[in-house]
Amino acid sequence: MSALATLRATRRALRATIVVRALLWGAAAALLVFGAMAFAGRWSAVAPAAARAAAAGAGVVVALALAVRAVRRATLPAVALWVEERVPGLDYALVTLAEAGAGPRAALEAHAARVRWTPAVRRAAARALAAPLLALVVALLLVRVAPAGASRLAARGGAAGGGGEAGGRAVDDRLAALRVRVTPPAYARLAASELRDPSSVSALVGSGVVVTGRGAAQGITGAVGESAVRVSAAGDGWAAALRMPARPAALRLRDGARERWLVLAPLADSAPVVTLTAPARDTVFRAPAGTLPLAAGATDDVGLVRGGFEYIVSSGEGESFTFRSGTVGARTFGGARRGELAARLDLAALALQPGDVVHVRAVAGDANTVSGPGIGASETRALRIARAGEYDSVAVEGAPPPEADKSLVSQRMLIMLTEALEKKRPRLARDEVVREARRIAVDQKRLRKAVGEIVFARLGDEPGGEHEHSPDDGHDHAAEEPSADSAEALLRAADAATGRGVAEALDFHGDETPVVAINRPLLEAYNAMWDASRELDAGEPKRALPPMRIALAAIQRARAAERIYLRGRAPDVIVDVGKVRLAGKPEGSAAPRAPRQPAGDAALERRRRLARAVAALPAAPAPARDSLLALRVDALDGAPALAAALGEAIELLRAGRDATAALARARELAGGEAAVRAGLPRWSGGW
Amino acid sequence: MSDFVFATAQYDSGDWDSAPLVPPNVIDSVARYTSIDVAPTGVIVALASDDLLRYPLVFLTGHLPVRFTEAERRNVRRFVDRGGLLFVDDHNHDIDGAFHKTASEEITRTAGPLRDVPNDHALYRAFFTFEDGPPATSHELNGWGDNLVHKQLQAVWRGDRIGVLYSNKDYSSEWGYHPDNKRFLAVDNTKFAVNVVVYALTR
Repeated sequence: MSALATLRATRRALRATIVVRALLWGAAAALLVFGAMAFAGRWSAVAPAAARAAAAGAGVVVALALAVRAVRRATLPAVALWVEERVPGLDYALVTLAEAGAGPRAALEAHAARVRWTPAVRRAAARALAAPLLALVVALLLVRVAPAGASRLAARGGAAGGGGEAGGRAVDDRLAALRVRVTPPAYARLAASELRDPSSVSALVGSGVVVTGRGAAQGITGAVGESAVRVSAAGDGWAAALRMPARPAALRLRDGARERWLVLAPLADSAPVVTLTAPARDTVFRAPAGTLPLAAGATDDVGLVRGGFEYIVSSGEGESFTFRSGTVGARTFGGARRGELAARLDLAALALQPGDVVHVRAVAGDANTVSGPGIGASETRALRIARAGEYDSVAVEGAPPPEADKSLVSQRMLIMLTEALEKKRPRLARDEVVREARRIAVDQKRLRKAVGEIVFARLGDEPGGEHEHSPDDGHDHAAEEPSADSAEALLRAADAATGRGVAEALDFHGDETPVVAINRPLLEAYNAMWDASRELDAGEPKRALPPMRIALAAIQRARAAERIYLRGRAPDVIVDVGKVRLAGKPEGSAAPRAPRQPAGDAALERRRRLARAVAALPAAPAPARDSLLALRVDALDGAPALAAALGEAIELLRAGRDATAALARARELAGGEAAVRAGLPRWSGGW
Repeated sequence: MSDFVFATAQYDSGDWDSAPLVPPNVIDSVARYTSIDVAPTGVIVALASDDLLRYPLVFLTGHLPVRFTEAERRNVRRFVDRGGLLFVDDHNHDIDGAFHKTASEEITRTAGPLRDVPNDHALYRAFFTFEDGPPATSHELNGWGDNLVHKQLQAVWRGDRIGVLYSNKDYSSEWGYHPDNKRFLAVDNTKFAVNVVVYALTR
């Protein structure tokens, strides 16, 4: 090979060396950036993309800066000169050859051939590569010293183009690609399940949770709150086992500087829901005889075990009560989620006395052996045995509506008939109006008589105290003075019975006896019906309507009074505050007390934390995501909807996808109020 | 400033109105010993009603089994969480009685577990000083009911605040007389009621 050809080959080799050297310097620079950021701990505060760009940019800039200029300068004369510098014995023969072009070369070739200059070139090229190689080694060592941070960056870097943590090359990250095996408590009889790389684990309280990962266990630590979780070797990886706590918490796994949170979202085993269907309501029995059918339904989210009916019999009155209790209809459900309870309560066997009250409810229990058992109970029904003196107020199941209620309906119908007659009165002849009005009056009188019978019966008089006669028997009350069976007479009878004057307002006051309290509105209704029937008999439907409406309102008050009466009513004692004010002899004093701290506003605090985490997302996604996880742990208890939205957002962020909608929903659920700012903010491209 | 209104709880089960003279007697004592603006009559408030939240102190008593409905349970929980004080007194004064068993079960289910109130608690110094904790009642001293003198009251706590105050001492009987008859007593036995009211209004 001629000297000139060798020179050209040397030039190619030098150019390649220049490129390799530049690449080595570039790689070293990139790794140094990686290592420096990992060492300084700043890698965790930098977005993966930014970190990748910084490292790659540094490498490319360095490599290009070194390579481009040097390659351009590596012309043939320059290479010849570079060789001549290192091999002076060539006496510029190579430079002359390179510059001579087509001139006489034989002497120069011969001179160059006598000198071995290629070994010197090789040594010089090797020396040129030594420095960048050394820098690369140093950079690699730096990365090795901070493996967690660098490997995490590397993992993210490998997921360029949208890959997040889940899709990254997490080969060196022992906290990546976790697997979680959830084993529900034995009582639940549910199958175990496995989750792949979750950010949150939901399971029944007491479930076994085993988190496994790749790599050696050494150096990995775990903690839930203040309690450490043991991490041990398992197969070719590591495992951390724990029980699902009763309250939401976070499992914090740490590997050097790398930390990962796993939300533990416990599912509470609800107590059974029990509904008593029979008896359907409280009631009063005239006598403690027969059997009472009991029926109930129960449901549970996991499984029912047992159920039955509980009863308490309370006897006595005033300050002296005795109690007995027992159960009937006990049965097992064998873990079914839904079940029925049925039994018959033998009232005679309970040896009930008048005045006794039987309180019945259905109960059901689940098999929860971890935080339970959960016991669910239905509403309680009170079944009372009437005393002899209160038979007139006994409500009987299945009986037709009380007379007062029937009167209510009838009175309303009569009012409607009268209103209709009054409406068409201009179109009718006077005789026809009178005939129609008297027809209504007959019904009004019949209803008045029914109300009178109720009142008479309650006042202890003979039923039917208003003597029987027909409208056509020549004995018309409308035409005569008030007689012994008139409303006034009836009120006088009530007055005699209670010692109160009829002229007083018809309302319940003071020590009025309950019987009169109920009857007074009926008496008022009775009186108004007299007035109404009188006007109807005179063919004046318009003038009959006001007393008819008064009667209706009075009957309604009577119904309300009956309902209130059964619950009892405290006497009204009005304290004369002005009279007794500071009249007491012993003087107390309000004890000094420490000022009370204002209660923390949990919702407001959640809003603030969410806003802070969201604001940090673009610059520091990893810690911001951990903040969201921590917020989710706290929200699981008090704001489950917010927790769900945060969970969705976290999953999207982990997958490297757009979480704007989920975060916006979370902000809505956190109850953030619109902030008023001067002027429009510049659009920032989302969260 | 609004008047303090003494509220008696009306619940769906039991005899909630078994101590009708307690409210006027407590009102009388509040007016007699303090300058608290107090309404001259009490009110009856249904546990299931939103009106419950209008009163800082609600008195609940009875002899018969106490079973809250779900609506009552939900509302009582809301009331206690929002700063109200529910004062529950066993008018049956019997720890083996149905009221105690059912009421304590319902309270636990509704608001949380009952724990003893220490006898040096602020409740016993809120206005009058009771060195030995809750004053004994004549029913206890006479050996009626469960024949026990209950040394402590119990409470469901919300932080360091009492949310539900529970008594087996039968203050319902002890305070259940017309306030005009207070003049016949050598020592007014309703003074502790003033402490309960002051505590409810200031804590």
